[in-house]
Formats: sequence, structure tokens, C-alpha cells
Amino acid sequence: MKFTQLLAESAGAMLANPLRTMLTMLGIIIGIASVVLMLAVGDGIRAFINKELAMLGSNLVLVQSDTRKNAGLRPRTGSVQTITLDDAEALNRLPSVAGAAPMLTTFSQISYGNDNNNTQVQGTTPIAFKIRNLRMAKGNPITEVDVASASRVAVLGKKTAEQLFYKTDPIGQTIRIDNQSFQVTGVLDNEGQSFDAGDIGEIVMVPISTARVTLIRTASPRTVQYVVVQAKNADGLNDMVQDVKELLRDRHRMRADDADDFRVVNFGEFAKSGEAIATGLSVALGFIGAISLVVGGIGIMNIMLVSVTERTREIGIRMAIGARPSDVLWQFLIEAVAICVVSGIIGIALSAALAAAVTATGKFDMSVGFKAIAIATLFSCAIGVFFGFYPARRASKLQPVECLRYE
Amino acid sequence: MENATPNSVGELLVQLTDVRKSYFSNRVETPVLHGINLAMQRGDFMAIMGQSGSGKSTLMNVLGCLDTPTSGTYSLAGQNVGTLSRAELAGLRNRTIGFVFQSFNLLKRMSILDNVALPLIYAGVARKAARERARLQLDKVGLGEYASRQPNQLSGGQQQRVAIARALVADPPLILADEPTGNLDTRTSADIMAVFTELNRERGQSIILVTHEPDIAAFAKRLVRLKDGLVLYDGPAREGLRQMQQDDAKDRASQDSADEVNT
Repeated sequence: MKFTQLLAESAGAMLANPLRTMLTMLGIIIGIASVVLMLAVGDGIRAFINKELAMLGSNLVLVQSDTRKNAGLRPRTGSVQTITLDDAEALNRLPSVAGAAPMLTTFSQISYGNDNNNTQVQGTTPIAFKIRNLRMAKGNPITEVDVASASRVAVLGKKTAEQLFYKTDPIGQTIRIDNQSFQVTGVLDNEGQSFDAGDIGEIVMVPISTARVTLIRTASPRTVQYVVVQAKNADGLNDMVQDVKELLRDRHRMRADDADDFRVVNFGEFAKSGEAIATGLSVALGFIGAISLVVGGIGIMNIMLVSVTERTREIGIRMAIGARPSDVLWQFLIEAVAICVVSGIIGIALSAALAAAVTATGKFDMSVGFKAIAIATLFSCAIGVFFGFYPARRASKLQPVECLRYE
Repeated sequence: MENATPNSVGELLVQLTDVRKSYFSNRVETPVLHGINLAMQRGDFMAIMGQSGSGKSTLMNVLGCLDTPTSGTYSLAGQNVGTLSRAELAGLRNRTIGFVFQSFNLLKRMSILDNVALPLIYAGVARKAARERARLQLDKVGLGEYASRQPNQLSGGQQQRVAIARALVADPPLILADEPTGNLDTRTSADIMAVFTELNRERGQSIILVTHEPDIAAFAKRLVRLKDGLVLYDGPAREGLRQMQQDDAKDRASQDSADEVNT
């Protein structure tokens, strides 16, 4: 018996009792939809995390002073500054490091004309712009010359610039930070959260030397609060962290049994916890999907058994006119698989619609990928074969004489 | 099928040698056929008669390869049926037997055309070719215009014609008709029997007809009467039917005298 014939017969059998077929398919539809959504949510979260991380600048770690226990007392992190500008420069020269930017930050009042605002001011070097993926909306970033000469220049975050200047061009204007005048040289284009300063649109960046002189008092002339370090590539991140630790321990002349006087915060860890959330959600949805698929599969098996009994006479007639047991087996098996595949397609369509609806809200990108469709289709076929086989086999074992006698 | 010369008269088509059939339930053997010997040549038109319980239906099932004998040999078109697997039996039925049933047994959900095409589909003929041949066959039984209808939209006589078309479509050497007129009125019955007679006369189509009505059996050339699982009479139909009438009369007479004695 040809495959097209089998398909035509399956379609006929499914359409013979549309309501029953639809109800039978429901379990599989829900199951497949949740499996596809599971994959879409997982992919969506992963993509979302990657996008956020790329916005922060990728493969970054933060090296900050950590306090050693001193006579049983452990002062607050950062209250003792052990990292210096020279450490940052040394880190910058490490082969595994793409760039290391020393940072001094404070909360300051900035004002222009009658407008004023409290926001985070970061003193840093030009390297920060590169490794933190900061782009200029207009004007220029802080330069090496600015750092060397401790120029009073500032680069504004997008929101801060808008708040202070509305529609006027801020470039070349003079603002006051903690009552000291700075000339605006540029405006950042970045938006979103930064890992160390809240909303990146609100920060103000100044040369680190200027910050030290005018805004931030430090314990010694060369200490910094922390250093942002970027690895050359994602694979080398852990090796780089190792290099950073060794270099700093060496530079700080620490003995083997001394605890680190610094801390390395790896932003990859955030990605990992995001990944864990994505996996958790995927597992939960996958579990619902699996249960629904099993229940749906049992439903299909049940209906197929009923169908075999109902169609006993039909089976007898078919066998009398030449259907081999294998023909009967295939007929019922293909019917079960067809029900599952149609359910699978409906399930995929349903989840694609849901994903599109979620994406349309603009908060979260979800898309049903080719992989998800392939997996769902394969899965629904497998369910059809698994749960359809027993009824089909039972049909094929029927004796034609008895079937023809069946009323 | 082209080289099998299904309708060449004279060749041995059916041969039963000491065929016995018993049914078992709870290990109790109920013998139904007690040793049937029967041979039929191609081109013959044979009616099988017998009262209920005579083993008529069982013999029909054995002849139709729907059931296999408990002992004895049955060879159909040169094939020993007893040695075949279920799949091989299905193939043999498909190639050599066209069934016509009392209750027509058309598949409800399918069109008339697809019903007729089904034996060809199981023979492995492509769907399109099978439908073309089915249409030709439907035209031959005069129902070409009903091809796209469903079986339940047709009258009983028309449905039986469709069933005959289905039986003939794969050109099998043997037609096996089990009470084909049992659900039909007298006039339609005569029409259907005319179709069988014509097939036998014009094409030399071999036909085995199972019936309990003497009027229907009268259309056949040859009569086989069964009683208690044995062949009671095997010979020309006219002669057999006359004998049967005499037997019945005798039975009735003895019944009457027995009744008289009793009263």
C-alpha cells in the first residue's frame, strides 16, 4: 500500500469524527506548544543576557581592594585602598588582558545654569571607553592628554546631558561638579544598567587625575578604588583572572599563605546565574510539556483502541479483499502518527503566535527557531509511533473471519 | 495477472481433499466439516446449499482463504493454502478471489470509486491507475455516474453492483458470493443474478455462490448440497434442485405422518 494512499485514508479517518480527533489532539498540542515555548524562552533569555552583557562590555572583571583581617577586625570592602594606578598599568601590560582601566568614583552634585542633579562621577582613563564599550553620541571621549594634564573636562551620560541641557548642544559648555567648573567634551550614546554605576545614561566621566585632584580624596596619591579589566577573549577569561591574581599578589609582595588583599568580581558569573534561570524555566516548561505529551499520548492510544474496535468490520473487509496484516498495521500506525504530526504543527503554530505576542510587547525577544520546530516535529512523530503501535498491532492480529462476523 | 489466464475453461481451480474443520472452545472440539472432497474447474458456476449448521459458512470461509482447514488439503489456483502465512493468504485472496457479501460490505467513509479501487491498491497498483481501472469497472456494472457518491447514498441493488465491481476489478479467477441476494428484494435479486450469469457465460468467470434459496441456486450450473459437514449431492443444478424438492416433500410427508401418529 502506497504512502499517499495511507495518508489519504488517515485524513479520511480523522475527518470522520472531527470533534473526537480535535479533543484527542489537544493534549499533544499543549505538550508540543510547551516544549517549543521552553526552547524559545531558553533561547530568549540567553539572547537577552548576552545582549545585556555585550552592552556592559564583554569579558570584563572588576578588581577591587579587599581588606585583610587585622587583629580580628575586617573593615568594609574598599575602605582600605590597596590597588594603585601602577597596578592598573601593570595589569594593562599582561598578555591576556585587552585593557585595564583604573576607576575612582563618587556621588557629586552637577549643575548647569539653574539645573542641578546628583549623579555618579567616574574618574577614569581612555581605556575605559574601549573596554566598557562606550560609544559617543557626540563630541570626544577623554584623552590621554586630558589625563596627563588633569584637564577639567567631562563626558556626560545621555540622560544627564538631556536633563541639564534639554535641546541645547552641551559640547563646549561649562558645567559645575561639586562647584568646580568642567568643560563638556562629549556625550555618551549608551543606555541601560552598568555593573558599577547604576544607569549608564546618568554617569559623568572625567579624567582620573582630575577626579583625584578636585573631587575624590584618596589615601595615597596613586591608589584607585577599582580597576575594570577586559580579557582578550571569552575563553581566556578564567586564565586571565588567574594571571591578574598572580600579578597582584606578586606586586603586593604577598607570601604564599597570605589572603588576597583584593577581590576579582567576574561578570561572567552573572551570565551563569542568568543561564541557570533560563535552564530552570526550560526544565519547568519541559516538564509540563513532557507530562502533557505522555497524557496526550495515552489519549491517542485510547482513541486508537476504540477506533480499532469500532472499525473491526472494516478491518475484516479490508483483509478479505487483500490487506495484509502489515497493511492494517501501517494504516493504524500512520493514522496515529498523522494525528500527532497535525497536533505538532498546531502546537508549533500556537507557540509561534505566543512568542510573537510576547515579542510584540517589546520587553523580551522570543522566537521559535528551526531547531525547536525540528525537535517538536520529531517528538510528535515519536509519540505517534510509540502510542500508536500497540493499537495498530492489535488491529493487524485480528482474524478476518471474526471481523466479518462482527456487527 | 496478465499471464495467469484466469478464465481459461477446464483447468482445475479449486480442489478440496478430505477437508476437515473443527472449532475449539475450552478445549472441546466441535467438528463442523467432516471431510469434504470437492473439485471445481475454471469456468464453472457452482452453488453451495445447505441448511444452517450444515457447515456452509465454514466451507465458504475455507474456500475464501479467510480460514484454514484443520486437516486435509485445499489447493486454490495451484497453491496449497494450508502452508501459507497470513500475509501470503492475504496476497492470494487479493489475486485470486473476488468477494461479494450478503451485506455488501462497502467501506462507509470512502467514495464508490475508492471502494472499487481498493483491491488494486492492496495489490500495489498506483492510486491513479487503480482509480482509472475502478472507473472502467464501475461503467461495466452501469454505475459510472455514481463514482463520487458514498455507499449509503445508493440503493441495496446498486451497492451490490458496486461490490461486484470491486470483486471483479483485480480480475481474479474466482468470484465467491456469500448470499449475495440475501438483503435484496426479488426483482433486484434477479438483476444481480443476471449479472453473475452473464459474467459466467460471456467471460467464463468461475463463480461459487453460497445460498439457501433454491430460486437463486437455479442460476448456477452445478449444485453442491451440504448436510452435517458432508457433501450430500454434487452434480448438475437442475437435477440437484429436483432431488432437493423430492427430499423436502418426503420430509414433509414423514413429518405429517409422524404428527398423525402423535395425535
